Amino acid sequence: MYRRWLWPASALPGVLWLVLLFVVPFYAVLAVALGTVDPILFQPVPTWNPLEWNVGWLNEVFTRLAPGGIWFDVGVRTIVYVVIALALCLLIGYPVAYYTARHAGRWKGLILILIIMPLWISYMMRMLAWVNLLQEDGWVNEVLMFTQVLSEPQDWLGGRDLTVILALVYGYIPFLILPLFAALDRIDRSHLEAARDLGASPWSAFRRVTLPLSKTGILGGAVLITLPMFGDYYTPNIVSGAPSTSMIGNQIDLYFHGGPQPTIGAALTIVLAAFLTILMLYYMRTIHRAQREAGTVGAL
Amino acid sequence: MTHHPKERPNSLSRRGFLLRSAGAAAAVSGAGPLLAACGSTTSESNGAGGEGPGGLPLARPDKRVTLPRWEDPIESGLEPETGGTFTVFNYPAYFYRKLLNEFGDKYGVEVQVTPFDNINSGLQRLASGGVEPDVMEITPDTLDIGVAGELIKPLNLDYIPNLQKNIWPQLVDPFYDGESRYTVPYTCYATGIAWRTDKVTEDIAGMDQPWDIFWESQAYKGKVGLLSENRETIGMALLRKGITDINTEDPELVNQAVSDLQELYEICNVKVDDLQYQTIPEGSSWLHQAWSGDMIAGYIYYLPKGTPASALGFWRAPHGKVPVQNDCFAVCSTTKKPVLSHLFLNYLLDNGVAYENFVDFNGYQPPLNEIDPAALVREGVVPEHLENSVLTDDDLGPDSLQYGTLTSEGQQLWQDGYSNFLAGGGS
Repeated sequence: MYRRWLWPASALPGVLWLVLLFVVPFYAVLAVALGTVDPILFQPVPTWNPLEWNVGWLNEVFTRLAPGGIWFDVGVRTIVYVVIALALCLLIGYPVAYYTARHAGRWKGLILILIIMPLWISYMMRMLAWVNLLQEDGWVNEVLMFTQVLSEPQDWLGGRDLTVILALVYGYIPFLILPLFAALDRIDRSHLEAARDLGASPWSAFRRVTLPLSKTGILGGAVLITLPMFGDYYTPNIVSGAPSTSMIGNQIDLYFHGGPQPTIGAALTIVLAAFLTILMLYYMRTIHRAQREAGTVGAL
Repeated sequence: MTHHPKERPNSLSRRGFLLRSAGAAAAVSGAGPLLAACGSTTSESNGAGGEGPGGLPLARPDKRVTLPRWEDPIESGLEPETGGTFTVFNYPAYFYRKLLNEFGDKYGVEVQVTPFDNINSGLQRLASGGVEPDVMEITPDTLDIGVAGELIKPLNLDYIPNLQKNIWPQLVDPFYDGESRYTVPYTCYATGIAWRTDKVTEDIAGMDQPWDIFWESQAYKGKVGLLSENRETIGMALLRKGITDINTEDPELVNQAVSDLQELYEICNVKVDDLQYQTIPEGSSWLHQAWSGDMIAGYIYYLPKGTPASALGFWRAPHGKVPVQNDCFAVCSTTKKPVLSHLFLNYLLDNGVAYENFVDFNGYQPPLNEIDPAALVREGVVPEHLENSVLTDDDLGPDSLQYGTLTSEGQQLWQDGYSNFLAGGGS
């Protein structure tokens, strides 16, 4: 009896954590999104009873996000930014994680610390530092002109898509590298040796063995950085400030930051969360399949 | 018959407001609940005809409103509270810390500043109980929320003699708060255009319609900005088309203004921020919608060494065509030090304190009788070519343009319009 409950009970803190810090807040946002607004203070009045929920705000958000709606362009722009930033993160982050896991040797710990080190400084401060570096007379232009990559200084902060995307990459890439490193570091080297023994070239061994086995790390890291990137609003604010580079998070910020329609902000949050849930489900399905293929599911 | 609040047997509770304003969630009732509860209105007019939060009449410069008191002010002659902390709820860095410390030293309290991002979100935090400040900054267009929500307390002006003594007559008994029942003025400013004279070649002040400069700013792409305030941004586009009703709730006018603003994506890749007081002097922005205090603050604090004051330009429309506003201070309902809070309001209206706060810290002008634009130039506080940044009593007269409270539907209309502009169009 004792042994029967011991291991399930060990999950209790995690379950409590999840309930308190995810389920309850998420339900509160839902109750706000489907609730009403105080007519005097314009504060959201949550409707806790699902039977009394008002889906009008959700419909309004869907209408605005649909083609022809006022948020269609900003929605598409957000997806494009996140997809490009994710691709760049993978292009940069995978080799770094691969090198650290497989070839760094005794430098592994140091490299990991260097990767984590930027996270010791707040995200906002790091972005503000980039504002200085990206000024027309900043170091970025100076270096690029000194190396003759540029013939004249560029206005990186003038409301450019590229600046926002690169800032997203810079801000989130450590969160991709760490799970990728963990996945690559776990790969049993005997698999690779077997592939090479069977005549696979290094590239073929990577493509047929390493890459598939690191898929969970890729997906885990991708989910980890994609979710916050979709809701990001301060990165475009800090490094651009132009409406032409705003993201959907800026709209949530606008409606939550005062005014008579906080429910619109909450409803948009719900729609965004639903969209991200699709990505999450794909990730969970992939993990589950990988575990089954590895024979870990059911073995317990 | 007008009832003095003291004659009412019970103060009207916030719950009372809500019950009386029952009805559609977004709209307030048409009955003017607060005024009805007072027996008869103490307002001198019905404002702009519509109703703001809690059914309060909408004040306009030519339609004065005296707000009903939801409770009695504190009695006269009480001693100020001492000890503990005294909390000022305000924009960050908008009051000289040195002066706050001096006030604290004088009354034996520790003055702390709790910052907010904007007054609307500040009021929401106050209503939610997340903060318990003693005094807060508020604006005329958000005053109705503060009063209807019982978030700020009626004042006893016996404690605030500096109001009558030092402040412009227009603001001793202002149109948005007749008899100064809830607020005292803090700073005042006009909205105009700031630019770098060494970068922008056009004679902006000489243009038939200077606001057109934003639509003719292709040469300054990436260096052009507007204020990140929905009223200011859309209001500017209305003024450009000659529409001086900057409190309009006509969807056609507001949507056309938004559509005009959207043209700026292509023309100059316009930015929205409130950093013009810094970015124009530093040269990272060349052309920006701005408040008059920005260039004074920019001149005092942000102009880099070697850059002459003449690099800063500021234009504002003539009296009656320029949006003007003033910020206010009020005593919060959450205060545990109501007497001291009154004395703080009196303190900030002291000639010496207000002037020092202006010229030594925030650059935003207090509405003091003793401030004379020419004298500020003579004393070197303001460069001669920025003398138009200094307002006078006449600027806030009955024929002035001021952003006032909108109805709930009007606020939605303007917020949605701004959201549309902020969405940035197709990239």
